[in-house]
Amino acid sequence: MSWATRILKAGRIVQDSPAMPASTVSPPTGTRASLQIRHVDAGSCNGCELELSGAFSSVYDAEQFGARLVASPRHADALIVTGVVTHNMRTALIDTVAATPEPRLVIAMGDCACNGGLFRGGYGVAGIVEDFVPVDVELRGCPPTPDEIIETLRGVTGR
Amino acid sequence: MKRNHTGAPVASGTATATLGVLGVVVGLRAVFGAPLRASIGWLVPFAGLRVDVDPLGGAFMALTGAVAAAVGVFAIGYARRERWARFPLVALPIFVLTLLVVPAAGSVTTFLFAWEAMALTSLALVLTEHHRAEVRSAGLFYAVLTQIGFVAILVALATLSSAAGSGTLAGIRAAAGDLSPALRSGVFLLTILGFGSKAGLLPLHAWLPRAHPEAPSPVSALMSAAMVNLGIYGIVRIDVQILGGGPRWWGTTLMVVGAASAVFGVLQASVSADLKRLLAYSTTENMGLIGMAIGASMLLGASGLASVAAIALAAALVHLVAHAAFKALGFLAAGSVLAGTGVRDLDRLGGLARRMPYTTTLFGIAALGATGLPLGAGFVGEWLLLQSLIHTPQGDNTLLSLVMPLSIGALALTTGLGIVAMVKAFGIGFLARPRSEGAESAREASPTMLVGMALAAAGCVVVAVAPVALGPVLTRVATTLPSVGDGHGPKLGAMLRLPGAAGSVSPVVLAAALAVSAALVLLLARWGVRARPAAVVRPLWAGGGPALTPRMQYTATSFAEPLQRVFDDVLRPDTDVAVTHVAESRYLIEKITFRTAQADAVEEHLYWPVVRGVAAAARGVRRAHTGSIHLYLLFGAVGLLVAIVVGR
Repeated sequence: MSWATRILKAGRIVQDSPAMPASTVSPPTGTRASLQIRHVDAGSCNGCELELSGAFSSVYDAEQFGARLVASPRHADALIVTGVVTHNMRTALIDTVAATPEPRLVIAMGDCACNGGLFRGGYGVAGIVEDFVPVDVELRGCPPTPDEIIETLRGVTGR
Repeated sequence: MKRNHTGAPVASGTATATLGVLGVVVGLRAVFGAPLRASIGWLVPFAGLRVDVDPLGGAFMALTGAVAAAVGVFAIGYARRERWARFPLVALPIFVLTLLVVPAAGSVTTFLFAWEAMALTSLALVLTEHHRAEVRSAGLFYAVLTQIGFVAILVALATLSSAAGSGTLAGIRAAAGDLSPALRSGVFLLTILGFGSKAGLLPLHAWLPRAHPEAPSPVSALMSAAMVNLGIYGIVRIDVQILGGGPRWWGTTLMVVGAASAVFGVLQASVSADLKRLLAYSTTENMGLIGMAIGASMLLGASGLASVAAIALAAALVHLVAHAAFKALGFLAAGSVLAGTGVRDLDRLGGLARRMPYTTTLFGIAALGATGLPLGAGFVGEWLLLQSLIHTPQGDNTLLSLVMPLSIGALALTTGLGIVAMVKAFGIGFLARPRSEGAESAREASPTMLVGMALAAAGCVVVAVAPVALGPVLTRVATTLPSVGDGHGPKLGAMLRLPGAAGSVSPVVLAAALAVSAALVLLLARWGVRARPAAVVRPLWAGGGPALTPRMQYTATSFAEPLQRVFDDVLRPDTDVAVTHVAESRYLIEKITFRTAQADAVEEHLYWPVVRGVAAAARGVRRAHTGSIHLYLLFGAVGLLVAIVVGR
């Protein structure tokens, strides 16, 4: 049996994905292409970052559901913002959202980003994400697990 | 001293350009018609002026004339804008005249006379802005190195002339076959040294990176695109034509000198931050490549491989023409930048593409030519050289199978680093945002300057796309040279073909393919964006930080830094970092001082020991200068006595 026939016989081998979650928003790209995401750390304790890197690792593989991390807001369709907004990151967050081409989405990830969480009212804290930029999707959890991250992202990408 | 003449720049530029056109006409007539011979007895004392233009000299005359025509037109606008004094305006056409007489010279005395006149007028022109100390230092360097070269040439030609028993070059050529091998080899070594110093070959190259930046740009263009060629002319005339190529070690020596010059020159070019210094080192690089090609031709000729030798020689001549075109354009464009901004330091330039669009385009053509990439002027010559090195049938010849692969390596390294140097010159100097007020307030060159540059650019395009135009001249020149004159040369048609070697390329087809595919991409892009929403203008993305400043850009120094690190042993940069700590803690830093200077390693390790030795000897001699007139009279008497006894 040659390698070509082996490949043909084996076909595509993929793991079954969990059931499709309900769509939270319409995909901002408006096409069938994948969602390009820029991650902004507005003042996180880095717990959310650990889980986010876990979600995009080979174990959970968020990219198979059409979500992808990019290196610049100029390339992005959506932003994932983690952490409370500190004084030092306030302008940078507003600038980053302004630099993302429209139509765009802002996903607030983690309890801190959504409601201030553990750091609410701290001396270095300027506020929560919603105080400065419009938030489209909230992802609760301290920190949210990779499965929860992927579920939320599937709700955005629709895959 | 500086006055604003209105008519004088026009007169000087027109005279220069007219002399150039005359040079082209006379040169081409000599190439295709009968050799021009003339002898004017009264013009030069004792020997008279003897002119004998054969196809070889005619080709160099035509090339010099073409460069002078472009430079002359450019000089009209440049001299007016820079408010030249009367002296350089007068000296410029005289310099062109001496440049034209050198390849026309038919006798040793005429040649040496014209050569020295050329050296002196160019020295005077280098010293145009003599009120600046750097210019005086550059002038001193140039004067010393060019005189060392002249002495070598003088001794070589005088020896040759007396041994052959003839004062004319034709007479020497007829008698050269009977000379002793030792004498021929001595003459060869002296001419490599002497003509090499004019061509900017190692080790007497150090005047180029000093004199070219400090001379006014039209003068730099003439020196770098026309005068250095005459060094190559001397090597071809004396060593290839008159002495007939010689034994194999001649060619090998020239190849080694050429390869060393090429690699060293391009390394220095790629780390230098001064636009004109970069172009000057690029001249050393290209003259090195030409020297390598001539050396390869001599070596192959001596090994009995005439057809490959003809390819190498054609490579040398084509690259010579290409270099003249793109280097004239490069220096003229650098002059336009200098006149428009007052800056020639790449670290302080930038942002010229918007402010000087024509100059930027024209410098781009010159830079593309200097890279040796296809559709650049330098491509055809370097391709021919590479083919001649690759297609050398080595057989069981140890020398060839050792030299040729090493030369291919040197050529490849040179071409690769040449791209780095030119990307730096164009990218840092002309693109991005202005790094200084001078670059910010740049003005486009005046119309005559643009016309002068456009003429040189036309030359670049012809060499790059239609080298077929050079074919007939090359064939005629080859007939005058022994060992390659039997019609074996490469065929420079629409398709470059090499008889006796597998290899062909067509610049015309490449250009057409590029034009068609560029048009296709443009159309597809237009079609692709027709449904997109209109573009919006937003502030530049600065990574979330405050706005970008010009100081955050890449500079020429930072662009070359990795290269400087890799070639640390050759370049030996002089860098110094001084860190000042806060008094309370060594972990906090108050300020950091960084200083870096790029000296010429050959100069440091070869010239300064000699200069120090001469200075020490002079101090010794000075001890005899006591100021006593009696002692001086005694010296005179003893000297006379010795002369009488010896000369008895």
